[in-house]
Amino acid sequence: MGALFLVATNGFALLIPWLLKLAVESVQSPGQAGRSPAWYGGAIIVAALLHGIIRIFSRTTLLHNARRIEYRIRQDLYERLLGLDLAYFNAERTGDLISRFANDLTNVRMLVGFGVLNILNTAVIYSAALFLMWRISPLLTLLAIIPFPVMIMVVKRISAAMFRRSRRAQEELARLTSAVEENVSAAAVVKAYCREEAAIGSFATVSRRYMASNMRMAQLRGLMIPVMAATGALGTLIVLVIGGQKVVAGSLTLGDFVAFNGYLAMLIWPTIIMGWILNLIQRGAASMSRLNEVLLAEAGVSEPAEPLTPEKIEGGVELRDLSFSYEASPTPVLSSISLVIPPGSRLGIVGPVGCGKTTLVRLIARLYPVAGGTLLIDGIDVNRLPLRTLRDAIGFVPQESFLFSRSVAENIAFGREGASRGEIESASSLASLEGDVASFPQGYDTMVGERGITLSGGQKQRTAIARALVKDPAILILDDPLSAVDAATEEEILASLSGYYGQRTVIIVSHRLSALRGCDCIVYLEEGRIVEQGGHDGLLALDGRYAALHREQQLRREMEEI
Amino acid sequence: MHFQGIYADEIVGKAYDRRLLWRFAGYLRPYLWLVGVVLCILPLTTAAKLAQPWLIKQAIDNHIVTGDLAGLPAIAAYFLLLILGESLLSFLEVWLLQYMGQRVMQDIRLELFSHVQRLSASFFDRTPSGSLVTRLTSDVEVLGEMFAAGIITVVGDFLLLAGIVGVMLWMNLQLSLVTFTVLPLLFWITFTFRRRMRGAFRQVRARLANLNTFISESISGVAVVQLFNRQRQEMEEFTRLNGSYRDANMPVITWDAALYAAVETLSSVAVGLLIWYGSGEILAGSLTFGALVAFIQYIEKFFAPIRDLSAKYSVMQGAMAALERLFNLLDCNEVLAEGGGERQIPPGPPLSRGEELPFIRFHDVWFAYNNDDYVLKGFGLEIRRGETIALVGESGGGKTTVTRLLSRLYDVSRGGIELDGSDLKTMPLQGLRRRIGIVLQDPYLFTGTVEENICLGDESVRPRVRGAAALVGAERFIEKLPAGYGEEVRERGSNFSVGERQLISFARAVAFDPEILVLDEATASVDSESERLIQEGLKGLMAGRTTLVVAHRLSTIRDADRIVVIHRGEKVEEGSHDELMAWGGVYYRLHQLQFREAGSGPGQSGR
Repeated sequence: MGALFLVATNGFALLIPWLLKLAVESVQSPGQAGRSPAWYGGAIIVAALLHGIIRIFSRTTLLHNARRIEYRIRQDLYERLLGLDLAYFNAERTGDLISRFANDLTNVRMLVGFGVLNILNTAVIYSAALFLMWRISPLLTLLAIIPFPVMIMVVKRISAAMFRRSRRAQEELARLTSAVEENVSAAAVVKAYCREEAAIGSFATVSRRYMASNMRMAQLRGLMIPVMAATGALGTLIVLVIGGQKVVAGSLTLGDFVAFNGYLAMLIWPTIIMGWILNLIQRGAASMSRLNEVLLAEAGVSEPAEPLTPEKIEGGVELRDLSFSYEASPTPVLSSISLVIPPGSRLGIVGPVGCGKTTLVRLIARLYPVAGGTLLIDGIDVNRLPLRTLRDAIGFVPQESFLFSRSVAENIAFGREGASRGEIESASSLASLEGDVASFPQGYDTMVGERGITLSGGQKQRTAIARALVKDPAILILDDPLSAVDAATEEEILASLSGYYGQRTVIIVSHRLSALRGCDCIVYLEEGRIVEQGGHDGLLALDGRYAALHREQQLRREMEEI
Repeated sequence: MHFQGIYADEIVGKAYDRRLLWRFAGYLRPYLWLVGVVLCILPLTTAAKLAQPWLIKQAIDNHIVTGDLAGLPAIAAYFLLLILGESLLSFLEVWLLQYMGQRVMQDIRLELFSHVQRLSASFFDRTPSGSLVTRLTSDVEVLGEMFAAGIITVVGDFLLLAGIVGVMLWMNLQLSLVTFTVLPLLFWITFTFRRRMRGAFRQVRARLANLNTFISESISGVAVVQLFNRQRQEMEEFTRLNGSYRDANMPVITWDAALYAAVETLSSVAVGLLIWYGSGEILAGSLTFGALVAFIQYIEKFFAPIRDLSAKYSVMQGAMAALERLFNLLDCNEVLAEGGGERQIPPGPPLSRGEELPFIRFHDVWFAYNNDDYVLKGFGLEIRRGETIALVGESGGGKTTVTRLLSRLYDVSRGGIELDGSDLKTMPLQGLRRRIGIVLQDPYLFTGTVEENICLGDESVRPRVRGAAALVGAERFIEKLPAGYGEEVRERGSNFSVGERQLISFARAVAFDPEILVLDEATASVDSESERLIQEGLKGLMAGRTTLVVAHRLSTIRDADRIVVIHRGEKVEEGSHDELMAWGGVYYRLHQLQFREAGSGPGQSGR
């Protein structure tokens, strides 16, 4: 459809020089058969108007279409991302993915929009204009387009260099941006250590490099303009000299001469754009393959082929010989963990930093693929449980409490769709968040994050706790949930949570033994293995690492009692 | 290129503001000679552009129509010369303008950045970091655009337009007037369409921003979305945002296409008018063929600048808005007065004779982050040299504020703080801060190596890096890293655990070897193992140093010489552990909580 419009609009565009030719001829030899010159003038105006109107349709059709394609791809990308497991999203990937959403998608859209538009345009204009020029004079046509292939190559090289240098400039800009970001977010550190001068110095370096990369771009931009001007002017020059001689010799009419010039002018822009399009195709293709990488990414965690859906999840968890390691790293994060957590019981997990505590609880929610060993929920292999069923049964408070830039209420209700205001309130009261919310400017409707208030670490943690509680899950997983709240608040939350636990299975990861009070079983993890396991008293009797940890705290108490 | 034009406009304001431009002109002063060169080049390129159709007219009228070929090569040679001249000059023009623009941008960026460094901490509390980043990047960028496609090129465009109009009028008055009848329509169309596009484009920007925020949040929070089974709802919201962004683009495309087509059409209509009217003139002998052809070429040269003029208008509008914001930031003078400032702080009550002069002295300190919302209300404290003071209290009570005031990240609202007998405000800021080592609540790591993060690029500190790391027990994990101290830290230290980040920031404080050490809830999220190591390291560090510790873990402050309990902005209790326990006040209550934490292990308290 767009292509059809494009042919029509170019048809009218091509008609204009031809009418010009006829008009000039009729002026030159008045009285001969044919229309009056003024008639041709009118015809040119009509052709111009039609050309313009159809041009609007051809451009909008094609470019609107490109936007729709972009929309579809973006939908597909996002849908894919939501289905990928956590192992896919490491720190580097996050930035890269965002750039694919922005830059690569733009490249593809440019290709299917402006790219296609200009390719079609060029094809139509070239074939028709060359045909008409050939009819006027084959020799002149050949001579006039001599500079064109050279120009296409020149433009292609310049624009290739421009793409390259503009990417460089973009990278430098990104570096500059993160330098500013870092400096601004760390203003307190910079001030505290009096590093202002050093910061200015290193910023000047980054800024100078950005400037240099821009200057290299500017050179090319400067080069582009004379090249474009020269392309047209050289052709005109050739037509002037050779065509002029032909007119004098009588083998060309003045009308032909004028029309020829008109067609030549029409070819200039498509010729210049051709060099640019060649790069656009390359870039678009490269971007599309980068997008395909995401679109075709295999999810490590997928829905079971033969799902087993239990009526209700009671909350029994069993780990049999469970191991896990990240793709890139050879050392396992977890090795051969076996553990039975009966429904309604409470498990505590302690251990030094990096021992695998967080990985273990994330595996239970199947945020990572469960491949080495078996994980059973109520006796069912977790890999055969529909993801929805599994995650509906789990209330998870992650270590780094991630909140969305939405209202406090929406963040809590994230836990369960359609949670009523009353449910939100009682969940936040359980998490000791109520008092804080009351002090927010718009209470529960206060926006969190960029466009609203910044919550303290403790407030974020408590919001994340409320979000998990509102879900009313069979299994509650708390991954070091109280690291950023003070002792009094911790005490308050632990007290209200113990009333909430009821028949739920609770798994708590903590650095602090206080949070593990009341656990039926405690495991001490070290380097991905359970080194100690048992009740509090049993572990003390074992006189191992747990007992040492406990002794340390005992010691402090005694010292404080002195 | 044409398609980039639609992204140019965003902010609406005046395109010309004398006050702003005048101030901006100051930045051009070092490059005045460049401005001069460009202003000399402009008339030359304009003349070269104007002469080309004129030469063609000469060729047609004097040689081709008359059949006299003798002079044609000469004209062709002139033509070639003009093309070369124009190419060279316009390259120079573009390049010089860009060069100047980039230099000015660099100057402004550095001035802004240096200025921001001097602003006080309260400025950073109030100002979202994103907006500062925008000032230093996008806003400065817009100024660069002004050079690439702004003021000076507009001068060139006007020169060309005026030249074309002049030449056409001179060649044939009536024909020119007939051709110019399309001009009012052209101006009307360009400006109306551009205005529509601007409105539509603002919407595109806003919706794109929403979409991008949503995407980056979804990617960072993907685990939360999956854990709470919210994929469907997030997809729905995404579809809505994505669709509304797509829809916002449609009118922009339509208006852009309409503008593009209208200009093209009007230029052809002008040619049609030329033929319609001009053919009669030729027949009447008052117009030559060459003039007709030259007219057609002039019309072609005429329309492009007019089409772009409105785009340049938008660039200027954007630049003015950006200048306004940049100057506002530069005018923001929220700096702490350097020592020797005029303001004299009333001295605290005189000390009785023979009393040892306190090293640090808080005297009736009042402080509010905003207006009258006082965080500290008449806080007083005296610290002797080498003493370790523990600040204790519930969060939000004002403990952190005390440490911030001591390092003069903020100035007190009322009262005063003295160090070694002189008021903080009378000391050079740098000197003061060098004496104080701070471990902030959130350990902040910069991109760069581990070593850089400890010495912060200070060469005099570099030799102490390893010793400092050893002292706080950070060397244990640093040496295990593949590149050791040369290991690259990713943005915000994302490749280090919270505990490791904290250890690095401890090492940083130690490496700077301060007289006074301030620890702000430093041990809150380190596991017991690391905490033990750190506390051992800190014991060595604290020896010989005056230390102020803020902690909500009472166990970390048991070694303090004195405990100061801050409650609601006031010092409510002060003394040793035993004294305060005996007193049975706020500290006692806090301790009870801590006592239970430490004492009753799991299981003991029963279920």
